[in-house]
Amino acid sequence: MFVEDIRNDFYNTLLGNRVLLLVHYDVDAICACKILQGLFKCDNISYTLVPVGGISELKTAYEENNEEIKYVVLLNCGGTIDLVDILQPDEEVVFFVLDSHKPTDICNVYSDGQVRLVYKDEEENIPNFDDIFKDDDEEDENEEVESGREGIEAVVERRRARKAWEERRHTLMFNYTQFSYYGKPSACVLLELAARSSRLCQAALWASAVATAAHSALHARSPARCLLDAEALHRYVAAAQRHDDSAANRTACVVMEKDAWLPLYREWTLEAALSHAATLAPKLKLYARSGSSRLRQLLADMGFPLQQARQAYRSMDVELRRSLLTALETAAPKHKLPVPTKATFILQRPHLPPLAALDTVYVIMAHIEHETMPKAEGFQQALAALEVSGDNEAWRRGAAAARKCLQAVASLVHTTLSSRRLLLAGPFSYFIVQEGTPEAGVVRGPLWLGEAARWVAGGCARPLLASAPGPPATCLLLGLPPRFDHEPRNLFGAAFEQAATKSGVSVSLDYVDSSVITLPTSQRAQFLDALTALLA
Amino acid sequence: MFGEKVIELLKEAERNRDTIDQYNDEKVRQIIEEMHVLFKMNMADANATTENKSLWTTVQVRHSALERNKRCLLAYLYSRMNKIKTLRWEFGSVLPPDVRELLSDSEYEWFSKYSTNLASYMRSLGQDIGYSGIDLTENLRPPKSLYIEVLCLTDYGKLELEDGDVILLKKNSRHFLPTSECQTLIRQGILKQIM
Repeated sequence: MFVEDIRNDFYNTLLGNRVLLLVHYDVDAICACKILQGLFKCDNISYTLVPVGGISELKTAYEENNEEIKYVVLLNCGGTIDLVDILQPDEEVVFFVLDSHKPTDICNVYSDGQVRLVYKDEEENIPNFDDIFKDDDEEDENEEVESGREGIEAVVERRRARKAWEERRHTLMFNYTQFSYYGKPSACVLLELAARSSRLCQAALWASAVATAAHSALHARSPARCLLDAEALHRYVAAAQRHDDSAANRTACVVMEKDAWLPLYREWTLEAALSHAATLAPKLKLYARSGSSRLRQLLADMGFPLQQARQAYRSMDVELRRSLLTALETAAPKHKLPVPTKATFILQRPHLPPLAALDTVYVIMAHIEHETMPKAEGFQQALAALEVSGDNEAWRRGAAAARKCLQAVASLVHTTLSSRRLLLAGPFSYFIVQEGTPEAGVVRGPLWLGEAARWVAGGCARPLLASAPGPPATCLLLGLPPRFDHEPRNLFGAAFEQAATKSGVSVSLDYVDSSVITLPTSQRAQFLDALTALLA
Repeated sequence: MFGEKVIELLKEAERNRDTIDQYNDEKVRQIIEEMHVLFKMNMADANATTENKSLWTTVQVRHSALERNKRCLLAYLYSRMNKIKTLRWEFGSVLPPDVRELLSDSEYEWFSKYSTNLASYMRSLGQDIGYSGIDLTENLRPPKSLYIEVLCLTDYGKLELEDGDVILLKKNSRHFLPTSECQTLIRQGILKQIM
């Protein structure tokens, strides 16, 4: 069941009740959670916030915290599974689901009020109720009553009709579930809620700016969709700017500016940022021997001396810093690079350097998939990194970690490509991160492994599989659709499921994102064979 | 010199204005003794010399010394009483043993009376609007918000709130709870307030 009016049917129902807030480990969910926390703080709604990593964690978190809880809010998790079936909740418990993972499970859509989906995506082609659900009992009763020749004919007729209906249902469901993809960022939906309850503040704007940057940086949505998602945000940012021009110098505020789409370049050196940008690095072919000279050529075309490009961006020549955007834009077409600048959101802070939304995406990713820190602790750090006021210690620590992660990803990609570890297997190519390599620790989570996979694929037309060692004796397998940068619908979710049933490998489909699975390392080859056979 | 001891006593008390120190039983006894002596001397002189007016000046000096002692002693006791009053607001009705030792017996008696009075007053508050009393000592300054955001640092287990809800405090879970419920847990180091 979909919520019609997000303010009255969703938010106002929660007022005065204890709420259990289950949040998935991803950038969008954390941003959405930040907005919701701000709203709850305004209205004194007491809540318990538990981060969850997968379906089994969701289950334990619910079981541990369900005492006396009537309302459960799920952010970016639970939409794609049949919640009532998996959690077995009491009848009076109500789930509000805001999940950007699509397709939404059909049982959640047609639940009669226990599961309420907060946002209805227009892009989803949800099959009609009558096409997929039918009352079976009624027909069975009728069958027994009739007898004789006509009766038998009628029964046969009905059976045929039923068979046709079942086939139709099967195709409908297949079409509906064959691709997994992402919908509008949850943070943008909640921004709408905040605006409608007149509680729009810079923190909410910033959180949703980061979420939109995440969706476009991680290629969760096609570029056109990203632009449409951010449309409301553009409006609110402009309105807020007009509104408090006088306060602009005293408080942090979100502004929209054209900025270089390079990760963390303000915290790094220009050369390093260029060689770690996911959009530019694959095109510069840095893994090859001539890569570094190509990078130097680019810098020379931009008119940046190496000495300047290699020192911290903050200490670079002011003139060079000012001319960075134009220099990048003029030099990029020469090297057949995609446009390296984008209109993005930046958080201007009084007496402190500005933060870019793109950088914050990597900071949050580095926190939640930190090499040494437990996930739950990283989650708290990530929430702290989204703070708009004050000197943000968590952000700085995250930036350092993110730089390390990007370096590890880059060196992983370079070794994979230069030593020809990207293997072809029928319809797809794949690479495996060996256990024991120094980078294996960084890419054991789906976010950074996905980053590495996108980098390796570099926009090529073949689907790609990436595998990295996970917890002992198991490994992570992640599927990337072909041309992910234009059409990010992922076919691997359904393919993994089928391959698992066919090959009999004990695959764990625990991740909320169905294109990520874990399986025992010993059975990986067998599984890949089954997948090759299936997709051929 | 008359009244020297009492000045010493006051100076001693003046040194730490904010804290309360041990009730100076010894010195107070000495001062009272001095006052008795003065009084007796005055009695003797006054009785002996109803006619002789030459001694009157002496009597007068002694008498003003006597009164000064009395006034200073009262000031001493009064300032202590004010301090004890604040103790009640800070510590509640039960004093920690180390603070208890600093009070004299009669001071402690006063403290318990004050405590009972205050308690019965607080119980009577707000009965007309359906509350069974308000704890005035809870928030001496108005709190910024009734609820605070806390992060759980250890696996504590279940916590029952005043309204009957049960929540599970597990490591790294965040909660938004009434301030009054969290304070003791924050002090124990189980929860951490998030600013």
